[in-house]
Amino acid sequence: MEEGRAERRRRTEAPSHPQGGTRRAGVMTDVHRRFLQLLMTHGVLEEWDVRRLQKHCYRVHDRTATVEELEDFINNINSVLGSLYIEIKKGATEDDGRPVYALVNLATTSVSKMASDFAENELDLFRKALELIIDSETGFASSTNILNLVDQLKGKKMRKKEAEQVLQKFVQNKWLIEKEGEFTLHSRAILEMEQYIREMYPDAVKICNICHSLLIQGQSCETCGIRMHLPCTAKYFQSSPEPRCPHCNDYWPHEIPEVFDPEKEREAGTSRANKRSLRSRQH
Amino acid sequence: MSEQSKDVCDPNSAAEASNSEVHSSLGVPGGLSPPASQAATLAGPESPPLGPTDAPLASPPPQAPSEEGDPKALQQAAEEGRAHQAPSAAQPGPAPPAPAQLVQKAHELMWYVLVKDQKRMIIWFPDMVKDVIGSYKKWCRSILRRTSLILARVFGLHLRLTSLHTMEFSLVKALEPEELDRVALSNRMPMTGLLLMILSLIYVKGRGARESAVWNVLRILGLRPWKKHSTFGDVRKLITEEFVQQNYLKYQRVPHVEPPEYEFFWGSRASREITKMQIMEFLARVFKKDPQAWPSRYREALEEARALREADPTAHCPRSSVSED
Repeated sequence: MEEGRAERRRRTEAPSHPQGGTRRAGVMTDVHRRFLQLLMTHGVLEEWDVRRLQKHCYRVHDRTATVEELEDFINNINSVLGSLYIEIKKGATEDDGRPVYALVNLATTSVSKMASDFAENELDLFRKALELIIDSETGFASSTNILNLVDQLKGKKMRKKEAEQVLQKFVQNKWLIEKEGEFTLHSRAILEMEQYIREMYPDAVKICNICHSLLIQGQSCETCGIRMHLPCTAKYFQSSPEPRCPHCNDYWPHEIPEVFDPEKEREAGTSRANKRSLRSRQH
Repeated sequence: MSEQSKDVCDPNSAAEASNSEVHSSLGVPGGLSPPASQAATLAGPESPPLGPTDAPLASPPPQAPSEEGDPKALQQAAEEGRAHQAPSAAQPGPAPPAPAQLVQKAHELMWYVLVKDQKRMIIWFPDMVKDVIGSYKKWCRSILRRTSLILARVFGLHLRLTSLHTMEFSLVKALEPEELDRVALSNRMPMTGLLLMILSLIYVKGRGARESAVWNVLRILGLRPWKKHSTFGDVRKLITEEFVQQNYLKYQRVPHVEPPEYEFFWGSRASREITKMQIMEFLARVFKKDPQAWPSRYREALEEARALREADPTAHCPRSSVSED
């Protein structure tokens, strides 16, 4: 019988999946299970929420244990989830780099993840919006442009009024974000669908030059055209007095945003409500 | 009902297979696993179940309506009915899919159920078949079984058939007893492993285990009645006297047998302190199989777990001196 990480923990492995490939050395306890349950319930969570959640799970199931470092905690769980083709994925909001987490299905190769909620024509509306967003320069698609495509939708005929409501449904379900009449992808959609998007739109898709992940919103070099996420430029140019394009070395013409600092976030707790009304944040 | 049983997945038997509690009909046993499933090798002599007709809003199987009736009688009647159906139900059909495909379907179903639950949508059995299982309908029982197992082990959730009438499932939180794993592997209590081996054997047999059978099993561990063991000492004395004195085992003479033979039963203390679910987990660990490879035993274990939960919803697991470090 395997001891797994029994040296480090009092609890030992759960029985492994007989046909799930190689035996996983992860440790699944009720702490982890509750964590997974709650993460799944919320869909996508910001890092500070995730930390609170983790602490809550320890409190409920294992008061005496020391709370494991979040990264290790999550890696631990992911080693068990691997054989199920799901994982807790970490991403960042594209506008201000707030770390977010979601439980995603790696095996999804289509928009069918959303299929359970939405009718055929609604899914097609999302696909159309997605294409417009990917093709756009800014990463945003205007409401007008999306609504103009309602005639081309598969399935039952949809009126523009109805389509507006469907778009709002997408926003509520955290698939899209709306900003001044324009729509872009929610960080959740990016986390969940990155693989699908890269497979479906290999020519149109944009990639960040720094982190090499899917890029919807970002800054681009006007000379050579490479793109970077806003939080990626923040980190990359953090201590550069004169920011230069990493590819062509030309002067980087955009304002460099601040690196996301969770500490500052906590201190600014009371003013968060104000911040929310000013910018529609992804979280 | 024609012998279309293999064509259609019966949500009730599928639910039984997934070991969820069915409040209404108790008359439908889990049935034989399809050949593709590993579980078939250790499944008891259970006949394939009848299924409803193909319509998505099929009425539940005939046994269902007598809801508050005697469940055991229903079960027996169902099994007898099935025994007759079994020979003619075997039709030549498409080859069973590779186990890996069934596993993949189970993963898809797991995600599907999780997403439905996340969106607080009804998990409707016909939807499950239409959206996920699709052409693997015939194997939906084993797929559902595997999905339930994963959900329980990884998420601590039970996939339960909440209403046979509407064919609705729901995800219910469940707590898993884990102390036993810790104890079975703990160096401080090796006797627990030995005791568990014997208890498991008795449990799987479903009746007393003859002493000869017990020694056959212990021989695998290198234990012989006449040999002194470095850890256990006099093994025979341990299991026939000490464990008996502690009420973990009963050691009784088999009636009407000459020359005299003895058999082991669970002692009252074992029944109090050790749950059937703990035994199933132990078996799964030792034999590297799904606990559901022993379907009727697993079902029993689930029923016991439910009864325990209903008796004391606040209890995490039964208190046990065996399970303390």
